[in-house]
Amino acid sequence: MRISVDFTICADHGQCAIAAPDIFRMDDEGHLAFAEYPDDARRSEAEDAADACPEQAITIID
Amino acid sequence: MTTSALTPEGQTRSDTVLPDPVLPDPVLLDSVPYFDIADPAFRIKSEQVSAARGRSWYARTNYGLAVLRYDEMSQLLKHPKLRQGSAAWPEHNGVTDGPFARWWASWVLNKEGEEHHRLRRLMNPAFSPRLIGGLVPRFQALANELIDGFREPGRAKFMSEFAAPYAARVIAIMLGLPEEEWPVIAEESTAIGLAMGITLRTELPRIEQALANLHGYADDLIAARRRHPRDDFVTALVKARDEGGKLSDDELRDGLVLLIFGGFDTTRNQLGLAMQTFLTHPDQWRLLAERPELGGKAVEEVMRVNPTVTWVTREALEDFTFEGLNIAAGTTVHLFSQSAGTDPRAFGAQSFDITAERKPHYGFGGGAHHCLGHFVARSDMSEALPLLARRLTDLRPVGEPSWLPDSGNTGPVTLPIAFTPAPR
Repeated sequence: MRISVDFTICADHGQCAIAAPDIFRMDDEGHLAFAEYPDDARRSEAEDAADACPEQAITIID
Repeated sequence: MTTSALTPEGQTRSDTVLPDPVLPDPVLLDSVPYFDIADPAFRIKSEQVSAARGRSWYARTNYGLAVLRYDEMSQLLKHPKLRQGSAAWPEHNGVTDGPFARWWASWVLNKEGEEHHRLRRLMNPAFSPRLIGGLVPRFQALANELIDGFREPGRAKFMSEFAAPYAARVIAIMLGLPEEEWPVIAEESTAIGLAMGITLRTELPRIEQALANLHGYADDLIAARRRHPRDDFVTALVKARDEGGKLSDDELRDGLVLLIFGGFDTTRNQLGLAMQTFLTHPDQWRLLAERPELGGKAVEEVMRVNPTVTWVTREALEDFTFEGLNIAAGTTVHLFSQSAGTDPRAFGAQSFDITAERKPHYGFGGGAHHCLGHFVARSDMSEALPLLARRLTDLRPVGEPSWLPDSGNTGPVTLPIAFTPAPR
């Protein structure tokens, strides 16, 4: 599983970090850091995060 | 001279105007503007605020700072040193205990950290964008059914004949409630909506009665799903409580009441405010009728200039400095979304144009507490507005509308309209 984030539309809301804290994290400045190749076992969390993003900036690429 | 299309009293047409005036007052040139935001006459959509925005990105108020410009609001909306500021709202209005204060404290909006995240994760699935696509035909059918049902030809009481039933029936659809129960949802939620503004204290008994009624409704619903589980969101939440231990009984019933209320009041108001804006822009209404694919952009443009939630609050978690201003821990920061949304620095001269490419508005807030239901709201309003535009041509005001106070979720209470009916 590969995660892609479109940083031209990411607005640092942090909803992904709430929905899937093992994959997405907000740093001290409030910007997104994420695991690009998380374990396949985390697929449903990753989908929850992609769903929850208000800007729909997250894509899960197989 | 700035004129606003947004005054409820006048419904004046919006002209292309000059940018915010820079006031040449030598006495006040270096001083920061000040607002008394507890004054019932205070209006975000006033010249006082737009003039202040021309002088300064922020103003001082009797309850902390107000942020007036788009750029600064963008940065502060999700700032890591700020938390949601609304938890103290009832206390600020002299409501320190009782059922409403307790229910308010239970809101996912008023929680932080892991307690917040756990509740948010449980509620997210109800409003997943993956569900919404399949519901679009139902939203369209609902809008047409309501328009078909207007009692008088060429006339409508927009709030009671469209906005309220549409918003209530959409929330019923989303939560798996029977659509015919929409009047309960509408009536009780409307009363609770009075708690969002300065009417909280004066209307507290009515608010608490409505809250008791909705809690009773939620309890019946929970019991029904325990007896007969379904493949729906309420059943999923009940199972999360009963099988997963992921939320308590109180969180379950309080959360359901919040979802019912939260989905209704805002959407009803926002539809009414959309009509208010289009009533003064008939060219844009005709355009939307001809080009229904502009529905989504129409919703965004309405929410930019005329949102139901005109401001959101934050509270400083610790001392920090922002653009040279020292903000002390505990300071309330009022983010004036409607002022940011009409900031000429971001959006040029005042205009309403559903075809324009715009920066994002903040009518749904932002950050950890970004509106949970925004996909549904955007979708259902994007379907309703073009349908209304096509079927209610020559839209014009008739009689006198009445308005909620500016201070809470604002919008029309009544909005009589006239139009020339066009077929489906």
